[in-house]
Amino acid sequence: MVFESKIVKKYFAWALDDAKEPSLRVLAEVPLFKGMGKGLLRKLLTDLIEKKYVSGDIIFHEGDSGKALYVVLDGSVRISKRSNSGDKTLAVLGPGSHFGELALVNQYARFATVTAEEDAVLLIMYKSYFDDLIRGNSAVSSRILLNLASILSDYIHCERPEEKAEKESA
Amino acid sequence: MTGGRRKEGVSISDLRRLHHQMPRWVIVLLILGLSAVVASRIPHLLMMLMAASFVSYIFSSIIRALERRGVKRSIAVVQIFVIFAIIVVSVDLFFAPSLKQEMVTAYKKLPEFSRIEGTILASVQKSVADYPVVESNIRKFLDNMFGPGGFLERNLNVPEILGQLTPFLMGIILVPFFVFFLLKDWPKILRKVMDWVPPSYVETTISVITEIDILVGKYLRGLAADCFFVGVLASLGLALIGINYPIILGIVSGVANIVPYLGPITGCLASCLVALMQFNSFDNVLNVLLLYLAIKLTDDLVIQPLMIGKSVELHPMLLVITIIVGEKLFGISGMILGVPVVTATQKTIGILLEHRREMLRRERPGILIRSHPDKLPVRPI
Repeated sequence: MVFESKIVKKYFAWALDDAKEPSLRVLAEVPLFKGMGKGLLRKLLTDLIEKKYVSGDIIFHEGDSGKALYVVLDGSVRISKRSNSGDKTLAVLGPGSHFGELALVNQYARFATVTAEEDAVLLIMYKSYFDDLIRGNSAVSSRILLNLASILSDYIHCERPEEKAEKESA
Repeated sequence: MTGGRRKEGVSISDLRRLHHQMPRWVIVLLILGLSAVVASRIPHLLMMLMAASFVSYIFSSIIRALERRGVKRSIAVVQIFVIFAIIVVSVDLFFAPSLKQEMVTAYKKLPEFSRIEGTILASVQKSVADYPVVESNIRKFLDNMFGPGGFLERNLNVPEILGQLTPFLMGIILVPFFVFFLLKDWPKILRKVMDWVPPSYVETTISVITEIDILVGKYLRGLAADCFFVGVLASLGLALIGINYPIILGIVSGVANIVPYLGPITGCLASCLVALMQFNSFDNVLNVLLLYLAIKLTDDLVIQPLMIGKSVELHPMLLVITIIVGEKLFGISGMILGVPVVTATQKTIGILLEHRREMLRRERPGILIRSHPDKLPVRPI
């Protein structure tokens, strides 16, 4: 690609956007976007909306209908679930993690509550954007859907964190 | 301690959150009120901002495409402006002579407008000679249109036109200025808005922004492409059937096509008028009518489905009402932008109602707002 060539990088460095490089590296680590080209990751970074959360902000509640996927660019978030013995932390996610991916498939209720553990920057992908992204773009759609299928199959084959927590408490 | 911090089921944090949210809504109302006052006092400013938003929307996809290739946004915007300037200069160099010639000829032939009444009457007289009532009605209509103190004379008021020229010239300078900053700073504006949105409204806000972006963006970009094709088809068609000023009429038809339903009729009427002046007979007017009918069919069946698709799903009746109300409130810009604004409002109301249902369900989890009895999830094996 012309924009990736050495000549462009050498003589037109002033015109290239380096500020996005750290976020781009984080995005490349996200399992859902595994195997995607730099161009597509840049597209996501350009198109998707960023939101800063302050520590303690609730990103979504358990039971809400899911409409978006979240990618952690900076900071960390805590995933917790209500149980008889109070709220149980299922996981703490840092940069390069994503959550809420099921919202891209359907709009069933969120199964856990997500809270900003510390000040966090999240990239948010709304379902309609995802639908628009994969429509008419077979390479992108097959890659994302394969990654999504892989994540879901991992999830099915592994012991569910909340079941594990319940077993431990029992 | 925890019990002491609660007051009738509302925690301190809830009250604090409410306290933080309240001024935001007051600010939103203040901004909306102020915008409404400014819009009513300085309608030209609103028109310029609308035009700038329209142009920015059209160019935003090119800016995004450049950004995706790693180009800085500010550089991408400057690139677009430079390319646009080159295109304007090229068009000026290659098309301006013929366009200028057309305009000079048209200007010289302006006095013929006064003779048009006689021309039309002469052509019509033959066909309606046996119907004096019809003839007198047509004469009355033509007198009202072209006669002394008629529609044309009333509306072609030179001082008024010169008065309108000042905001037009201001627009030529200010619209590109607004476009530049809208294109350059849009991500920053969006980030500021998002920082300001309370966490519980983030998904709803993003759904509104994304839906409107997809819908209005698709509509405006499609409309621009649609107008371009209609303009080109009209120019080529008129040149083929030998009507004068095909480029000017093509531009008029393309620009008029922005307004649904009324636009194509306006373009067609302008061309029919020129054909009537040129040939003094209705035969060529029929050719023009057939040409515009063919363009309209091509536009409805091929160009629009490809370019605009189903981005705007307004009922035809609501669409016409929107155009009329838009024209009454904001003139031509209201006619053009009324349709995407109403569609976006319709979509936003739907999303906000869904958000309200969601909030209601969160407050009273026992109430099942929406159920899928026939779509019970089956655990995958």
